[in-house]
Amino acid sequence: MAQQAATTDSSQLNRRQLLGLGVSGGSSLLLGGCALNGLNESVGNATQPLNERIEALMQGKGPVPLFRRDQVDPKHLLVNSFNGVPQLDPARYRLRVDGLVSRPMSLDLAALAALPQHELVMRHVCVEGWAAIVAWSGVRLADVLALAGISSLGGYLAIDSADQYFETWDIASALHPQTLLATAMNGAPLPAVNGAPVRLATPIKLGYKLSKWVTGLKVMASLGDRRGTWEDQGYEWFAGL
Amino acid sequence: MTEARAPATPPIRHSPIWTRAFHSLNLLVLLVMAASGLQIYNANPVFGGRGGATVPELLALGGWLAGGRDWHFGFMGLYALNLGVWIALLIGQRRRRLADTGDLGTLKVSQNRAKRRLSAHRLVYTLMLILLAFGLITGLAMYKPAQFWWLSGLFSFGEAFGATSWQTLRVAHFATIPAIALLMLTHVVLSWRIGGLRLLRSMFA
Repeated sequence: MAQQAATTDSSQLNRRQLLGLGVSGGSSLLLGGCALNGLNESVGNATQPLNERIEALMQGKGPVPLFRRDQVDPKHLLVNSFNGVPQLDPARYRLRVDGLVSRPMSLDLAALAALPQHELVMRHVCVEGWAAIVAWSGVRLADVLALAGISSLGGYLAIDSADQYFETWDIASALHPQTLLATAMNGAPLPAVNGAPVRLATPIKLGYKLSKWVTGLKVMASLGDRRGTWEDQGYEWFAGL
Repeated sequence: MTEARAPATPPIRHSPIWTRAFHSLNLLVLLVMAASGLQIYNANPVFGGRGGATVPELLALGGWLAGGRDWHFGFMGLYALNLGVWIALLIGQRRRRLADTGDLGTLKVSQNRAKRRLSAHRLVYTLMLILLAFGLITGLAMYKPAQFWWLSGLFSFGEAFGATSWQTLRVAHFATIPAIALLMLTHVVLSWRIGGLRLLRSMFA
């Protein structure tokens, strides 16, 4: 009898301890989340590969619906810059295309203007949480890469910018029919703060993938140590929308 | 006779293992989703945008935007899985657990306290499921607005009031935090009035 009481007592204590553990664990998660921040990367690494595969699978379904021109809302497009605003001289501007291509080339703005022009009225989504409908126009990145003759070994594209911003993309997203090298915004020449003279635009990637002041494209067989200016700090690499 | 044996309280009748597991898992997943969500909120406050008031860092998980996203998108799979299994289990017991129009009538006219409490509980369970599903839908619509364009498009009703569909979506997704917190509080208070700390304990340990 006494023994029974004792075991009941100790098991109750255990339950109490368990409950206390749960409550304190919960509140420490709420109040002392900082202690858990060291696990950010582990949580990301454990789940991002699966998330990215699902993203790539969904994105393979082709073009996404666009918006009407009257839905463009210029005041919602905020400007993010990683290293100031480089002023590029349009006359001296050259877009370098090299790496795994059969015809490495250096294109000026006239050569880009000679290619078929397209307009995208798309939702520009920033990783920070805001979004804006913008009309970007320019040439398809796929057309430029086709001009250079991309190798079948090319799985990735590295994008250099005049401000040292760096990006890498999977080749499927780069060849997507809605991925543009934009030279105009909302029907006017691209302003310097938005990436003049040439920037990336696509509705299928987050804003930090859309490099401004693009000066170089390099087709690669694999990703190097640098995956991107922000990606190397902890942002997702695929960043599909 | 009962007086004499009062100190020996009857043993706690524990809830089934799956109820207890789901309660603990739910609490953990909801706390992680809310705290990492607030971290993402702070990168560009839903109310006020750049320069708007941010949530105290103490309540946020992840340290900075990329960290908050790691947690939020890391746990979203668990959240969805948890919700799916829960819906399946509840539908299996829908007659006992899910509300119907009769419960609203009971709450309005019945004098039977036990019946009223049961109806209130079923209402909370049902609302909770709807809210959790709403959180998932609004989240998906912002996570993949290009792939789920038809889902994001549902929120264009805000345009009639001068809000972009994106802002409507952000407000709707954020609103699930206070709504679920309020419902959770109601759920705890209702349970407390029925079984006090003992019932609460039977749910977790």
